[in-house]
Formats: sequence, structure tokens, C-alpha cells
Amino acid sequence: MSESKWIPTVCYQCKAECAILARVEDGVVREVKGNPRARGKMCVKGMAGITTLYSQERLKHPLKRVGERGEGKFVRIGWDEAMNIMETKLRELRKRGEGHKFTYSMFPHSTTDPKWRFVNAMGGFITTGLPHCDSAKIMAHLHTFGCFPNHHIAPMYYTVPKGGVMILSGRHPFGCLDDACVPRDILDAKERGAKLVVIDPIFRTEAAKADWWIPIRPGGDAALFLGMCNHLLTKGLHDKAFCDKWVREGDMAGLMAFIKNKTPAAMSKICDVPARDIVKLAEMCAAAPSVSVDAFKSIMYGNAMDWGHAWSIFLVITGNLDNPGGQPMPEIAPMAPVAPVPPPPNLKELGYHRTGPNRARFDHYTFFLQPTWYAAQAVREGTLKVFFASECNPALSEMGSGEWREAMTLKDRSGNYALELFVLTEIMPSETMKWADLVLPDQTNFERWELLYMPWWYNFGHTAAVCQPVVKPVGESRHANRVMIDLGKRMFPEFFAFKDDVEYYDIELSGIGMSMRKMLDGGAIWSPGTVGFRKYEDAGRFNTPSGKIELEWKMYGDIGQQWPSPELPLEFRRDADKYPFILVNFRTIFLNNTGAWSQNNAQLRDPVSGIDANPVLLNPVDAARLGIADGDMVTVASSTGSVRLPASLTERIKPGCAGIIHGFGQTMGKVASRGAWAGDNELIADAGSHLDEQDLRGGEAHVSTRVKITK
Amino acid sequence: MKQLSIMVDLDRCIGCKTCIVACRNHHGLVNHETAMPEGMSHYLRVESELTGTFPRLAEDYWVVMCQQCKKPPCIKACAAGAITKDAQTGIVRIDREKCTGSGACIEKCPYGVIQFNAEGRFAHKCELCHDRVVHGQEPVCVEVCLADALRFGEREILQMQAEAAGKKLLKKRSTQSILYVKRAD
Ligand code: SF4
Ligand code: SF4
Ligand code: SF4
Repeated sequence: MSESKWIPTVCYQCKAECAILARVEDGVVREVKGNPRARGKMCVKGMAGITTLYSQERLKHPLKRVGERGEGKFVRIGWDEAMNIMETKLRELRKRGEGHKFTYSMFPHSTTDPKWRFVNAMGGFITTGLPHCDSAKIMAHLHTFGCFPNHHIAPMYYTVPKGGVMILSGRHPFGCLDDACVPRDILDAKERGAKLVVIDPIFRTEAAKADWWIPIRPGGDAALFLGMCNHLLTKGLHDKAFCDKWVREGDMAGLMAFIKNKTPAAMSKICDVPARDIVKLAEMCAAAPSVSVDAFKSIMYGNAMDWGHAWSIFLVITGNLDNPGGQPMPEIAPMAPVAPVPPPPNLKELGYHRTGPNRARFDHYTFFLQPTWYAAQAVREGTLKVFFASECNPALSEMGSGEWREAMTLKDRSGNYALELFVLTEIMPSETMKWADLVLPDQTNFERWELLYMPWWYNFGHTAAVCQPVVKPVGESRHANRVMIDLGKRMFPEFFAFKDDVEYYDIELSGIGMSMRKMLDGGAIWSPGTVGFRKYEDAGRFNTPSGKIELEWKMYGDIGQQWPSPELPLEFRRDADKYPFILVNFRTIFLNNTGAWSQNNAQLRDPVSGIDANPVLLNPVDAARLGIADGDMVTVASSTGSVRLPASLTERIKPGCAGIIHGFGQTMGKVASRGAWAGDNELIADAGSHLDEQDLRGGEAHVSTRVKITK
Repeated sequence: MKQLSIMVDLDRCIGCKTCIVACRNHHGLVNHETAMPEGMSHYLRVESELTGTFPRLAEDYWVVMCQQCKKPPCIKACAAGAITKDAQTGIVRIDREKCTGSGACIEKCPYGVIQFNAEGRFAHKCELCHDRVVHGQEPVCVEVCLADALRFGEREILQMQAEAAGKKLLKKRSTQSILYVKRAD
């Protein structure tokens, strides 16, 4: 009989990183499914992960660019040569005193990612998807009630009581960005009698299951929630006892003064939700035993900070913090530091790679990651000289793709690239690869060791999980973490004195009395225990400077941002007659956005088991006005870019909006390059050079950009 | 005859296609190395229906697999006698040894669910995970369904469960052995 067993590990087809089991038979992964010790689910992307692992398109050897950047021509080299190229350039950079001109773009799989350690040792910066996605939300919650949620801290849907209200505001949890258990948990809560309210300009799966769908004008969420706050506060429907006890003195009075003119009628004009519906939703929330707000995508508005602030205020005045069915507030379990710890760069002194017109005003942001990422400007202004990227696809994921490409190929007077070295680790061919000088073959989650540690995961039953190799690596692939540890050993032996990644993780785990061995024996996951509720009551304080909830952001007083604006920044409001449509870019469960590994996955791009088309969605009312028929090729143009796409007419989308899926547009890889689809970032303006107000008020302009449609 | 079945709950199916890929993995339907979109066998497919006009819309999703027909047209179509309906379980099975690869069943199946393996020249389809259910396990799709929209059991018992949960049988879709239900309201 052949050997066959289920091995616990972790999925990495998307950033939710669900705990899974892999069935390995005779050294080959045959099947995968959710780990029953965790919350037991795995989504379609994860299921298709085996296709990523074995695809003949896998990059198997280090590649070095020949020819110009953008041509996509490479020769195979050995790992030694690749390591030498990186070491030589980085040493030279440090010698010039420009270590901070090194940036690594990655998604740290834990707060203790070894790649991040390398960046700190080098004195460089890390940039993650966060500046694009959820810095604004993190900062909003951090400022207001001192907890560190990000989009992974979805409400714990399994705690929502009967009658509880679950609000999804521009959020598609059925796409499984939090954990694959979430769709089930939301539907279970519904069956228990909780109510699902979906606020979204596009009618999607979540809306189809909702008790109430509210098709909002994109970017109107802050206005909608401020309108609700106005109604609750002026009618005395807010949780007075909670506010009296926990809100900093003076803040309620300040809020009352601020909210006075944010009436449902006034806010309705901005968000295009009827005033009576704003009142109805407010009253529904006031009467409910719990309200949760899940809003990931909607923080990608041009006013993400305001929206995060408005939403935080709403949670506070309805008393929905750390209660069953409300906003969880995770605790951080202490991992042990791996001494000696390399110090991070001094942001106060060096500043961010921020070169736009509002540079000075950025000093107000206290977050350790850049509020927004300005790759193109940084290259242009000489503050980015060496760029590494892993598990991201900046050629498609950066706002302003055109400017990004230009920056990559920008040369100085002597004909050298301004960006001196660009290194990319990649599992599959990617669009970004075309511009890289070195392309290093990375490993899938089935081939690598990794300690995943996300304190907020405890919402899903664990905080740490171990990804372990279940099969031999394909070709000469090496996991990016190992590559950076090796480079660290060469360049900074004092900070990389441990044996390898596994020993590094072991030291970290000792902080919680665990080890890799113990983790594996326990099913590859670890949980600190139960989540607990209303922990601020036991602590007697919130984790803010005053110990109270701080509704007014006093530190932003001098940039006029102590209270949230209901409006989008000016650049998204002007030129409305020239660009009458609002671009709504959205996600699907079938793709990890621009991730080259999912775009190149045959099962995920198969029309039966995935998605293979990305037309621009238009409402038939708009199409009729413009004389556009279903399937017609149209030009979608913003003030900074344009794409040609077939139009798909559907009742799903709110008139005045144009919808496209985020993540298409690859020209590399046999699977990913199928069809003449386009990347949405061709249309979205590059923040540093084109936007003035937006970059101070947060996030990416994914759901705010104005476009026009012509045949 | 006992009829094993799957009950599809339209209140829960979100059309995520997880079941399709898990089924392919379990039954080895994909050559992961060379797979290209549009060329892969599949034992299930997702269907959906959007009704209404903006902003009053409704949409349902469900999956279609072999319906384990009561009087299977595929059996009648097969001259080689390769298809039978198992008396113990009501599962319609294709005997790969006897299958001549004529493709006659594929044309006659009203649900378009029979797949053809061009290399081995044989017809194949969902057999309700016969390999698993005879060992007391659920079919793969039922186990992995992201939304817990599928339930496995005897058709008769599933119907009682639906009734107890206040779900109504969608008669038009449930004429064969697979059941489709939705909240009665
Ligand atoms: S949500 Fe899906 S793709 Fe993402 S980690 Fe979980 S199972 Fe994998
Ligand atoms: S659905 Fe098709 S394959 Fe299945 S029993 Fe009926 S006719 Fe045969
Ligand atoms: S996995 Fe479940 S919810 Fe998803 S398509 Fe299949 S039956 Fe529907």
C-alpha cells in the first residue's frame, strides 16, 4: 500500500493564511482541506494551490536580466552569482551611507518575519500592501481606542447573537480575505437570527444573501456613518452609559458640536443613500444587541482616514467594542525577541519615502509603515536605490502603473538606471519580473518552513501556525526568508547568528513557551486561550495615552483633521462633468488580486472553476445613454490613463459607476496572459505626483477615481 | 431502493466553486503540470440566476452534478451496457472497463454532466464519491463546501431535514435524486 497521510500546514494562496491539511501520497500533494483543529475551511484558491505547486510554469532557477528593463529577457544563473550581486550592491549602498535607500516590499507573514529583520539590519525600509490597503483603518482604530486591528480582525461572526446586526461596508468576506471560515460563520449567524446589511455599489454574493442591500455612492461610507451618528446622538439613542464611562472628558461635547450639521439629509447628498434609510439603519443598530462593521475594501477610498475615523466613532457611541458580535480588540501574545535585535530605521529623522507636495505634513503620522507608498517618486528623487520585492506584483499593484514603469526604466545622465538594483522573488512569471534585474525562484507554502504569527488570528481559534514543507522543493527554488537569512549571515553575522529559519522560529516561540516541535505535535497551530470580551473593563483602561477613548484626534489639529470629513478629497470631486463615472474596482474569491501565483493558476482562470474575464461593468441605463451595447469595446479613461475593455451590461451595478476586477492585466505567463484584460492601476493616479489632498487622508484611490466611458 | 443524495441549500450556496476544485483534486481529474483553463474535466458546475432590476435584485446560486436520475437516460443510451444504477445506493456508475468511448451517454444526459477522457477514451462523471460513501464518509464536495450548503444522506431523510428546517423543495430542479431547497417565505 502506498503511504498517504494528512499533514497539518498553512495555505498561502492568499494572505488570510488559513490552517490546512495536505494529503501527501508517495511524496506528492494530492488533496488539501481546512484544518479541523482550526476553523476547518479552505477556499477555492487554496484548493487550487496544488496546481500552483506543480505547474510547469514554475520558475525553477535564478534569472538575471539581459537587455533593457521591460524587455523581459533573462539568462539562467546560479544561486552563488545571485547572492554575490545582492551582497555587492547592498554593501556599496551602505558604504555610501545610503542604507535607507533600500526598500523591501513584502507582506510580513508575522510581526517577526526574518526578511523584515534583514531590512532593519540594513537600515532600510519595509513597505507592505498595508499602505495601499489598511494603514488608514489601523491608524484610525489605534488613535481612537488604542487597539491594533487590521483587516484580519474581522468581527467574530460566530459570536453574533440573535438580532445582532452585521454590516459589510464595501467588504466582500465571501471572498475569504479573513479566513475561509467566515462565509460559513456569517451564514450561521444569519440562521441564528442576526441581520446582514450590505453597503456596496455592486450587488454581489454578499448582497444576494443580505437582509438589506444599500447601493451607496462609492466613497460615501464616511458620510453615511456620520449621518447615523448625528441621528443617534441628537435623538439620544447612543450608548450613553458606555460613553460617559469610557470616552475622554470633553470629547463627547466636541463630537456633538462637530456632528451637528452632519444630518441624515445633508449626508444623503454625499452618499446617495436616502435620509430615511440612514435613519432606519441607525435605529436598527441602536435597537440591536450588537453591531459589527466589516469594511476592508471601503478603506481604499481617497478619504480612508476619515472613513476609518467615522466608523470608529460609530462603534464607540453604539458601545460595540470588544463585545460579542462587535469589534474585537485582540491582545498581543509576547514572542521572544531574537537577540541582538537590529534597530529599525529612525523614521523621524529619515522620513518616509514620501516626496509628494505634502511631505512635511506627513510627520504627523506615527505609524511604523508608510501611510502610502511612492515608489515612482522615490526613484525619481533619488531616495530609492535598491528595491526588493516578494509576494507582491508592483507592476500591477502600484497605483499609476504607467509612472511606475517609467520610474523603473529612468536613467541618469551616464545611462545608468536611477534604481540601481531591483530584485524580485517569484513563484510564477509575473508582470513585475519584466523590470527586475534578478528574479529568484521562490517556494510555495507546500515547500517551505514558516512561522505565521498574527495576534489577531485568535478570532479564528489560533494565533500562531506553522507552515511546514510537505514535499521536496521544485527545481532550485528557495524560500525568500531563507535567502534573506543567508544574505544576513554574509552581511550582518551578529544579527543572524542562529542556525536557520527553524531555529529562528524556535527562539521566537520560546516567548510563549512553545517550540516548532511542540507546535507540530499540536497540529501546527497554537492558541493563547479564549478571546475574552470587554477586556478594557478588567484593565480599567483603553490602550490610548489618556487610557480613555479618544474621539478627537488632537494631534492632527494643525492639519485640520481632528474630526472626519464626510467628503472625498477635492481631486475626486472636481471634473465630475468631464469624468462622470466613478471607478469601482473589486475583488473576487478566485484571485489573490495581482498575485502572480493565482493569476497563473489554470484552475483559478478556468471559467468553470474560477474566472477568466474582466470586462467593465456598466448599468444598462448608463449604457443606453451612451449608445453602448453589451460586449461593445469601450475606452475607460481617467485623467491619468486609459484602457480598452469590452463592456458588460448588468443591473448589478449602481448607475454612475464602472466596475472592474482588481488584479488582471498580466502579459507574462501562459495562463495569466490569456485575454486582453487590463489592470485597474492603469487608471488610478500615482499618489505622489497627481493627488494633493488624498494622500493626507489615506488609502488608495481604488474606489474613488473618476473615469469617462467612450465607445 | 435506498437513494443516496445531496441536498443543495440555495440560502447558503455562494457560488464559490471550492467544491469543484476539491472534487477535481480528490478524483485526480487535473494534470497540474500542464493544465490550461477550459480544458479540465469537472464533475460539478455552478449555476446562478439574477432577477429584478436595480436596485431591487435577487440572486441564487447552486451546483449541478450528476442528478443520479431515477430512470437514467445515459443507461439507455449506452449500447455497451457500461452504465448501471446501483441497487444499494441508487448511484449511477460507469464501468470504465466496459465503456467503449462512444460518447452516446454524453449526448443523452439532460444535465450535461458527463465528462470525456480523450486520452483513455472513456466517459466519467460524479458517482457521489462512491469510494468514500461506501466507507461511511461524505462526498468530498459536501465535506469541503465553504458555506456548508450541501448535505449528504438518504433522499427521504434529507427531505425530512429540509422540512424541519423550514425549507421548501424546489420541485422543478429536484425532479431526479439531487435535492434543491430554499427557505419557505
Ligand atoms: S482564504 Fe483561501 S486562499 Fe486564502 S489562505 Fe485561506 S484557504 Fe488559502
Ligand atoms: S444526470 Fe446524466 S449522467 Fe447522471 S444519471 Fe442522469 S443522465 Fe446519467
Ligand atoms: S463549495 Fe458550497 S457554496 Fe461553494 S459553490 Fe460549492 S456548493 Fe456552493
